[in-house]
Amino acid sequence: MNALPLSLSIVTDMTGSLLIIVFSFLSLRYAWLLTRREPENFLWGFLFYFCLTLAAFAISRAIGHILKHILIFAGNQELWQTLAPFSGGTNTLLMISLAAVTLYYHKGIEGYQAINKKAKSLKEAYDQLETAADQLQEMNLHLEEMVAARTLELSASEKKFRNLFNNSKDMVYFSDAGNQLLTLNSAGFEMLGYPVQGAPALHLLDIFKNETDLDTYYETLLAQGFVEDLEVEFAKADGTGISVLLSATAVYDENHQLSGCDGIVKDLTRIKTMMEQLAASEKMASVGQMAAGVAHEINTPLGVILGYAQLMMDDFSVESEEGENLAIIERQTKACRKIVADLLKFSRQSESAREDISINEILLDVIAVTQHSLNMDHITVHQDFSRELPPVVGDTERLRQVFVNLINNAHHAMERQGSGDLTMISRYDPDSHEVVATVQDSGHGIPEKIRARIFDPFFTTKSVGKGTGLGLSVSYGIIQEHGGRIEVESPVTNKDSGETIPGTAFHIRLPALQVEAASVRE
Amino acid sequence: MTLFNKFTPIVLLLPIALLLLPDQAWALQSHGPPEGIYVHQLAHLFFAAALGYLFWDIGRNAFPGKGWRYLQIFCILMILWNLLAFSGHWLGFHIADSDILRPSGYFSSQIIGPISSIKLIYFSATLDHLLSLPALFFLFMSLRSLYHSSDDKEEKK
Repeated sequence: MNALPLSLSIVTDMTGSLLIIVFSFLSLRYAWLLTRREPENFLWGFLFYFCLTLAAFAISRAIGHILKHILIFAGNQELWQTLAPFSGGTNTLLMISLAAVTLYYHKGIEGYQAINKKAKSLKEAYDQLETAADQLQEMNLHLEEMVAARTLELSASEKKFRNLFNNSKDMVYFSDAGNQLLTLNSAGFEMLGYPVQGAPALHLLDIFKNETDLDTYYETLLAQGFVEDLEVEFAKADGTGISVLLSATAVYDENHQLSGCDGIVKDLTRIKTMMEQLAASEKMASVGQMAAGVAHEINTPLGVILGYAQLMMDDFSVESEEGENLAIIERQTKACRKIVADLLKFSRQSESAREDISINEILLDVIAVTQHSLNMDHITVHQDFSRELPPVVGDTERLRQVFVNLINNAHHAMERQGSGDLTMISRYDPDSHEVVATVQDSGHGIPEKIRARIFDPFFTTKSVGKGTGLGLSVSYGIIQEHGGRIEVESPVTNKDSGETIPGTAFHIRLPALQVEAASVRE
Repeated sequence: MTLFNKFTPIVLLLPIALLLLPDQAWALQSHGPPEGIYVHQLAHLFFAAALGYLFWDIGRNAFPGKGWRYLQIFCILMILWNLLAFSGHWLGFHIADSDILRPSGYFSSQIIGPISSIKLIYFSATLDHLLSLPALFFLFMSLRSLYHSSDDKEEKK
């Protein structure tokens, strides 16, 4: 090769200079767009200033190079020689600036990285806080749900126990450590005879009739932590007593100190009455058996005595002393036989008829028979009969005898007073499906101590010769035989007003004939 | 008394003493004609070094994306351009006016033979745009790519 053409260099230089300007400005544009998009990004800032300086350098250099070629080409080399140091100087300055910008960049990037690091850690902290806040919110949400569910459960439980407390037929109470009643259900107030609304503040001392019972209760509670089936007597608001069965459990506070107790009290009155009735029934059954045995044993010799007495009476005249004696023997023997017959009736050993009976009719018959003698003693008979009374099945004669016995007793109780009221009541009790006939007098009543014995055979308060003491026993036996029972009330409590009236009431309760059974029978 | 306080009178009196005893101050120094080209050559080296640093720092920071790779290519090409330009300026002193012939005007200029390696390198240096133009192209590609990456990030947000 003999020569290297510089024309190629000139063309390349001019074209390249122009293209470099183009590319530098294109780069500058993108750098500018980047800074616009993320003004806080230091890197884009650096690149923008780098491109700006580079664009200036590209222009300076391109102008210098192109001007050089044009001026030399136009023969103005001297002018170029004048301008060349300015062009070279500017280029040098811009190159140094470019280098400075580039080297300064690392300081900026360090700052940027430090800021970025701090921002990142702040963002992480913020994210953690946000996560924690989310978790807290979620927990809070769950907590709210849990609390709502638990509240619902508690509410349901509270409602359940509230219903149990309110609707219990037994007394339920809560007391503090000093035995002061804090809460008492309505059954408790009713049992004790206090009004549910406006009842006074009660202490266990107020409702335990015997203080020793309260001591036993409290000592047992302290010793065992509970009281089980303690039979005590409570005092009602009116001062009367009521037998109850008490069970209680001690309640302790967080320091294991007794803070109170909750208890359940069951009214034993009904059970006690039933027990007494059962005991009486058992006693009467055994007495009846004994009476039946005795009656059988006595009946035969009595028959022999009566037979021989009557045979001997044929041998003596009635006016003779022997005849009179034999008549006495016959009369007394017959009296004995009547007693024996009554004993047999009491012990249900005798036969009886069975038919549908109207109690009202029986009562009217009995009143008709006895009214005259009652009127003699100024005893007024009151009738209160239910018109729609179902029939009962039984023996008319025997039931009539029962009511005659009861009216006689009432008469006897009132005859000393010189006047009185005899009330005859009949009614139907749909709950027990029984017909109840009541014979109530306004006499002196039956003393408490003999009340348990009135149905015993041969027990009487009448003077000798006026009664055998078998009336109520026989009545008891007859009613038992009819599947009924006799209840005694003395003194009598008025059901409407609740007040106590002197006197005695016998309630005869007989099973009513079922309507269907009656129609089948017909 | 601290050390500073101890020497304070001397520090204050020294400038006064120098002003009272003037000789030759050497306040202004003249520069010879080659200084301009020296500064220019040093600027090329300074610029190349700065680009080398930028190349290394991009790699060190491991900035992700094609844009930064293009920028590294730009750095390499521009370093090469700086070295070529430096060589071209330096070799320009070794090319005599007689080595360039203009038989029919400026556009017909040519480096006459015999062609030595100096002349060949000098000639190559006159074609420096073959390095700087691709370098600027990669710079453009780099920024375009960075802008579009940023665009994607923006969309993802």
